[in-house]
Amino acid sequence: MQLTPDEMILFTIAGYGVNATIVFTWAVMAILTGASMIITWNLRPDVPPNRWRTVLEAIVLTIQGQIDEISAQPDRRLLYFSGTLFLFIITSNMLAIVPGWQAPTASLSTTAGLALAVLVAVPLFGIGSRGLGGYLHSYMEPNIIMLPFNIIGEASRGISLAIRLYGNVMSGAVIAAILLGVAPFFFPVVMDMLGLLTGVIQAYIFAILATVYISSATAAPDAPTAKEQT
Amino acid sequence: MSIDWITVAAQIANFLVLVWLLRRFLYRPILDGIDAREAQITQRMSEAAGIRAQAEEAEARHEAEIARLKAGREGVLAEVRDEAEAERDALLSGARERLEAEQAAREAARKDEARRFAADLELRGASALVALLRKALNDLAGETLEERIVARAAGRLPAMAGDLAEAAGASHEAIVTTQDALPEALQKQLAQQIREALPHIDVQFETDTAQSPGLSLRVGGAQLGWTVASYTDGLQAILEDAHKARGVPDAA
Repeated sequence: MQLTPDEMILFTIAGYGVNATIVFTWAVMAILTGASMIITWNLRPDVPPNRWRTVLEAIVLTIQGQIDEISAQPDRRLLYFSGTLFLFIITSNMLAIVPGWQAPTASLSTTAGLALAVLVAVPLFGIGSRGLGGYLHSYMEPNIIMLPFNIIGEASRGISLAIRLYGNVMSGAVIAAILLGVAPFFFPVVMDMLGLLTGVIQAYIFAILATVYISSATAAPDAPTAKEQT
Repeated sequence: MSIDWITVAAQIANFLVLVWLLRRFLYRPILDGIDAREAQITQRMSEAAGIRAQAEEAEARHEAEIARLKAGREGVLAEVRDEAEAERDALLSGARERLEAEQAAREAARKDEARRFAADLELRGASALVALLRKALNDLAGETLEERIVARAAGRLPAMAGDLAEAAGASHEAIVTTQDALPEALQKQLAQQIREALPHIDVQFETDTAQSPGLSLRVGGAQLGWTVASYTDGLQAILEDAHKARGVPDAA
C-alpha cells in the first residue's frame, strides 16, 4: 500500500522520474488555469457577467474578504499567494472523489513544499512591508532573550503546517482505502464525504494560517495583532 | 513517510507558476472587471445624480414658469375684467344719458305740445269769447264792441287828462292802436275826445293784428289799454283750473 503518491513514478524525463504528485499537481494547475482562462476570456466591463464569471467573482471576493478581515494592511499580493494556496489545496482535495485521483496534498513533499513557500513568503512580505531591519527586529521582541524561541516558533509553524495538511489528507485517503477492503459498499462513501469535508476545512485552515503568519510579519509594531486561528 | 526533496522543489516551482498563472488569468481579470464595474457604477451614479440635479432644476424652472404664467393669466383676467366693467359702466352710463335725454326731449316736446295746445285753446277761447261778446252786444244793445270801447275810453279820458299831459311831456303825438282799423266815425269821435283832454296832441291811428281786441293809447311814456286781454287771461286761468281738476299737468 502506497502512503504517498511520490512513490508512484508515472514516466521519466531525462532520467528523472516524474511521480504522481507532480503529474496530478500539473493537472490541478491545468484545471484551475484552464477554467480561469475560459471564464475570463471575453471579460469586458460593458458585458454583463454570466453565471460562471459571477461564481469566480464570488470566490475571489470571498477570499479577499477573509484576508481583509485578518490583515490590518490589505495587500493584493497576499490575495494572489493565499488565494492560490486555498484554490490549489481545495481543488486537489475535492478531486479525491474522482476514481484513481491521487491528491498531491496527500504527499508530504507537496505539503512541505507549500509550507516552505509560506516560510519564505513570511519574511519576504515582512521585509517588503517593514524593511529588513524592522523585520529582523521583530525576532527580538519583546527582548533579545526571545530570539531563539521566535526562530524555533517560526520553524515549527512550517512543520506544523506541512504535517497537519499531509496528515489529514493522507489519513483520509488511507482510511478510505482500508474501509474499501473491509466494507466496499457503504463506509467508503461515508469516508469520502468526510474526506471532502476535511479537505475543505484543511484548505481553509492552511490558507488562513498562511495569511495570519504573513499578516503578523507585515503588521506595524503598534498595529493590532492579527488573530491566529487553528 | 519520507520527503522527496526533488518533488518538494518541483512543487514549490509548480506553486509559484500557479500563483503567476492565476494572477494572470484569474485574479487580475476578475478584480479589474470588478473595479471597472464599480467605477462604471460610480460614474453612472454620479451621472444619475447630475441628471437628477438637472431634472430638479428643470422642475423648479418649470414650476416657476407655471407660477409666472398663472400669475400673468390672473393679471390679464383681472385687467380684462376691469376693462369689461369699465365698458359696461360706460355703456350703462351712455344708455342712461340717452334715456334721460330722450325723456327730457319727450318731456320738452310734451310741454311744448301742451303749451301750443293751451295757446291755441286760449286763442280759440278768446276768439269765441270776443265773438260771443260782440254778438251779445249787437243782439241786446245794437252796438259794436269797438263803439263801446271807444265810448268807455272817451268817458275816462277827462279824468285822466292831467296824468296823461304830465306823461306826454314834450311829446305832441298820441298813438291809438287797434287790432283792426276803426271805423272812421269812431276814429273822429275818439280823436276829438283825446284833443279835448290833450289840446296840443296830434292823434294817430295804427293797427296791430297781434294785439287783443280793443284799443291802446300811448302818449309819451304812458300807455293806457282797453282790451279784452285781461278777460282772456281770466279765461286761461279758468281753463287751467279745469285742467288741474281733471289731473292734466300744467301747460304753461
